[in-house]
Amino acid sequence: MEHKEIKLVIDSELKNVSLVGRTINGLVSMVSPCDISPHDIELCVVEAVNNCVEHAYGKQRGHEVEVRFALGQDRLVVDVCDTGKPMDQRHLAEADVAMLEIDHDDIDGLAEQGRGLPIIKEIMDAVIYQSKGGKNCLSLTKFFGSGEKTRRCTGGQDGD
Amino acid sequence: MEIEQRREGDILVAKILNDRLDARGADDFRKAMSGFVSDGNRRIILDISAVDFVDSSGLGALVSALKLMGGDGDILICGAPDPVMRMFKLTRMNKVFRIFEEQQDAVRALSVE
Repeated sequence: MEHKEIKLVIDSELKNVSLVGRTINGLVSMVSPCDISPHDIELCVVEAVNNCVEHAYGKQRGHEVEVRFALGQDRLVVDVCDTGKPMDQRHLAEADVAMLEIDHDDIDGLAEQGRGLPIIKEIMDAVIYQSKGGKNCLSLTKFFGSGEKTRRCTGGQDGD
Repeated sequence: MEIEQRREGDILVAKILNDRLDARGADDFRKAMSGFVSDGNRRIILDISAVDFVDSSGLGALVSALKLMGGDGDILICGAPDPVMRMFKLTRMNKVFRIFEEQQDAVRALSVE
């Protein structure tokens, strides 16, 4: 099979986010090469879905968050989409891995929020945000390591 | 958010019984920790051995709890499973919190101070 895709849709409530996270973790565990951490992908997807619920929909229930998981020959792509308030593109552009650096001697200066996008950018290989026709999608891509194209974690067998 | 509490002298050992410390439970956790601090607890060990997932909101709640101490006290963490420890390292929180594998090691570390 060249391409596998699964779509998950949840209502915009924080209680539903773990359901998506666990499902993505399970999917990555089952179908992705060993060099991709299921926990890392779950973390990125959870952060992205949290952003949809908290920022795009302002924690209002009754809206859809759509998560599309796709596995290609050399990459894994997860799109997290909402139809709420679009994110300011600057947030993604300005989210930098350096924001995860801390001064551990300055406890009062430690940020209590704002780590979601830097975490995503640290873990994923490509992060693209698009807002078109009222639909906003954050696309998260992770490429497979060289020589790992089809090796699976369960038994090291070639994939389909 | 379910938290089991016990005392070792003046040390409060608080064990999170939920398997996730995330955006859903972050506010409850923040309130619980705020309660511990306002009750006068200044030496707290947080056992997260049952927690297998922490997101940035959960981390934010942990940072908030540490700030509540206002430099007068400490929060040690113990029992972090590998994925959670990886999250701490990714966000450099392993440099903010002292983290121990075993609860008793954390108790011992606080007891000698």
